Amino acid sequence: MSCAPGEPCEEGGRRRRALIVLGLMGAIFLALSAASFLPSRGQALPATVSYAGFDAVQGKRVFQSYNCMGCHTIVGNGAYLGPDLTGLYGKVGPAWLEAFLPSAGSWPTKGAVSLQLRDERIAGDAGVAAIDAYLEKYPAAAERITRRGAHSTLMPNLPLSRTEVRQLIAFLKYTSAMNTEGWPPRPQVDGLTFPQAAPLPVSRPTIPVAAQDPGAAAASAPVSAAARGAQLAQDAGCTACHASGRERLVGPGWGGLYGSEVELTDGSKVRVDDAYLTESIVDPDAKIVQGFAPHVMPSYAGTLDADQVAAIVAYIQSLGGEHP
Amino acid sequence: MIRIEYQTQRLSLRFFMLMLVLFFFQVGFGLLLAAQHIDPTLLAGHLNFNVVRAEHTNLGILWVLSGFIGAILFVGPLLSRRELAAPVLIKFLFYALLAIVIWNVATQALAQQGIAGWWHGEPMLQEGLEYLEAGRIVDVVILIGFAILCYVVLRTFPPLSRWTEIHWGLGIGVVALTFVWTFGMFFVERLDLQEYFRWYVVHYWVEGVWEVIHISLVGFLLVLMFRADIKSVGYAVFWGVALVWLSGLIGNAHHYFWIGTPEFWQFWGSLFSALEPLPLIFCFWHVYLDAHQDGKPVGNMPAFAFLLGSVVLEQVGAGILGFTMTFALTNVWSHGTWVTLSHAHLALFGTFGMLGLAAAYYAVPLMRGVESFDQRPGKLAFWLVFAGMLGLGFAFAIGGTVQVFVYRTLGLDWFGGDVAPAMQFAKVMVPIFGLVFAIGVCLLVYDLLTLGLRAPARGDEERAPVALRGWGRRLIGWEAGLWLLAMWVFGAIITLGLLSFNLHSVREGNMRFPYLMASVGYSGLLLTTLFFVARFLRSLEARGRAGAGEPLVPGETAPAAAT
Repeated sequence: MSCAPGEPCEEGGRRRRALIVLGLMGAIFLALSAASFLPSRGQALPATVSYAGFDAVQGKRVFQSYNCMGCHTIVGNGAYLGPDLTGLYGKVGPAWLEAFLPSAGSWPTKGAVSLQLRDERIAGDAGVAAIDAYLEKYPAAAERITRRGAHSTLMPNLPLSRTEVRQLIAFLKYTSAMNTEGWPPRPQVDGLTFPQAAPLPVSRPTIPVAAQDPGAAAASAPVSAAARGAQLAQDAGCTACHASGRERLVGPGWGGLYGSEVELTDGSKVRVDDAYLTESIVDPDAKIVQGFAPHVMPSYAGTLDADQVAAIVAYIQSLGGEHP
Repeated sequence: MIRIEYQTQRLSLRFFMLMLVLFFFQVGFGLLLAAQHIDPTLLAGHLNFNVVRAEHTNLGILWVLSGFIGAILFVGPLLSRRELAAPVLIKFLFYALLAIVIWNVATQALAQQGIAGWWHGEPMLQEGLEYLEAGRIVDVVILIGFAILCYVVLRTFPPLSRWTEIHWGLGIGVVALTFVWTFGMFFVERLDLQEYFRWYVVHYWVEGVWEVIHISLVGFLLVLMFRADIKSVGYAVFWGVALVWLSGLIGNAHHYFWIGTPEFWQFWGSLFSALEPLPLIFCFWHVYLDAHQDGKPVGNMPAFAFLLGSVVLEQVGAGILGFTMTFALTNVWSHGTWVTLSHAHLALFGTFGMLGLAAAYYAVPLMRGVESFDQRPGKLAFWLVFAGMLGLGFAFAIGGTVQVFVYRTLGLDWFGGDVAPAMQFAKVMVPIFGLVFAIGVCLLVYDLLTLGLRAPARGDEERAPVALRGWGRRLIGWEAGLWLLAMWVFGAIITLGLLSFNLHSVREGNMRFPYLMASVGYSGLLLTTLFFVARFLRSLEARGRAGAGEPLVPGETAPAAAT
């Protein structure tokens, strides 16, 4: 207790000693802090990590701009709605991220990831060019494709440009290279085969083929072509960005699109027909509709042959619209 | 009932009212977050989870600050025996705070478009860092606001030679509040360095600065409420603050385990943050002592209930739950999961939120000139928010334990397909307890906003007196110590449960032991806390009924009333 009157008072001395100890602790703390950021430690630095011509510092700005930490954790700090992002790049690789980020609302399919691998820079960064070798090198990407592919991620689509996507990947490449002293701990059992974990049985999402309007579809295009197109559209990852209804996910919805007239960024108008749709699939940046950004959609030239493109066009046509 | 002697004390009223309004909206955002956790597609694309969360955390910080400012302005003249300096600046501070709130609520929504307002390399509008989401423009205005607060407090206080420990606590508190804030005001390229400095603001605010303001205000409110001896309170304030800093300065190291900083922090962080509960136990014990300083009835039960809640939840949420996850060997599992949420909610709302509410319940009736008011809504609101928050802490902790097992031990990382479904039970508990909490908040916001303005209700003198037996008998030191011990025993069980995730059998997929320890530990700790506060308040109510001078325990002379 404080000093009672008449007794020798040691309180002042005790307090002074406490303050000296506090100063000592401050010195220890500062010394430890200084030692933490010495270059000799070899910690990854964002300015030296780059991806597709962008460095991780640019990526960190994108990461902060979208407040990714508001749903995810990074080095374990942030919110707990989605998974930690620190080591994600190392687990799934750049091609999976390139396929995922522009249409984050939907898990990428194998077709969508292999399409990205056709880009030499991405393949070079991944270290493999063939999709099967990629999936072997990045088993977490394989797990995401087989179990989750084409399912909803429950994450909202974000208006990321291709540049921002690449900057973000540069940042994730940097965090993946960071030494986090063994965190998170490596699992010693495989949750996917663990009996008590029993991951949810996964079914492929159903594709809304011609079913909404069988009569119209049958009248305008052969059902078999449209059905094949529907399957192709899902496998190639088209449905991650294009809804079968009219709503906009990332790109325009396909419902009622065929035969309508759209206004392009240069002010001209164009009618949506077979030729326009075919061109938009093989060379998406040739004509950009107003309100949409270029370079978001990858080109499918060389991935889909003419028959497959025609099938997808037939599917889009089957989803309704004004018939010319 | 004391009267308002200094007219500038009344300036605190508007800060208390703003605090209540912000609290109301913060809880609304919190309920929305709970709903979005159950259905992540809710409002997706319109009001994304990260925006709602930024509003929730930022409003939480802003209303706690508003409560602090209100409390400091209210006690400032009493501590200084003169009017507050520069009332014009205080009025300006209020409108600045209002502008900050509105501007910040609006700019946070820009994260959905990825707009941060980069200018000269700094994010002007919002910066997407947890707790420091505010953009640079707001950061600067907040800094100016803190500087005004410093100026007002230091100009109002008497000359240095007449400062007591409470003056020192508040004086250092407001200056450090301003100083520490500046560490969050620059863009850092390195993630490890950014996190290093981000914790300067977050940790040193709550653990260094807010804690100091908290201890000083609790001390002075005890002086006001129980006429506690200012020397003895001053002693408690000095050693409370000294222990906070002796443990918390290096204790910050527990944030540096896994952010890319070296391994040696695991040693320093585990060691010193294990000491962090010491000042909280010390503060807890002093509240017990000071509440028994005089044996007179507690005139304002809601105010004391919130004050007790603040100190007890500080002990439980910050002290015990913080302790359980502060060792590198437990933190490696709890880090980045819901386990930390139970600590964060109990500690932040409990310690700092409840202090602001206690100060408001103490000050608002005085400023509105209410001689006696109907205390029942206040007491009911206390029990609703207190029980609701304990329930929330339980839901987060159980959900977190499941999350650690599924996410870390089994390595399943599909949140939508594997992790969230496993946590579903806890995810549903959150809005249920959240609703209890929210009802309490609505009641207390209504009660405080209209206290003294609405038609006076029936006083509560007519209620049946509380007997001095059973739960109403006097709370002696031994019993309080046993309650405290029980809380720490459950805390130890929780710690062992988190530690057990390191066991070989658990890592091989046997979750029984950690689940059992978590169920026993968390429910035991939170129920003990609930019953202890019930017991404490019951004994004070009974003392109130008994009246001063009457023996508190049959056969014993009233000890405290004699002092």
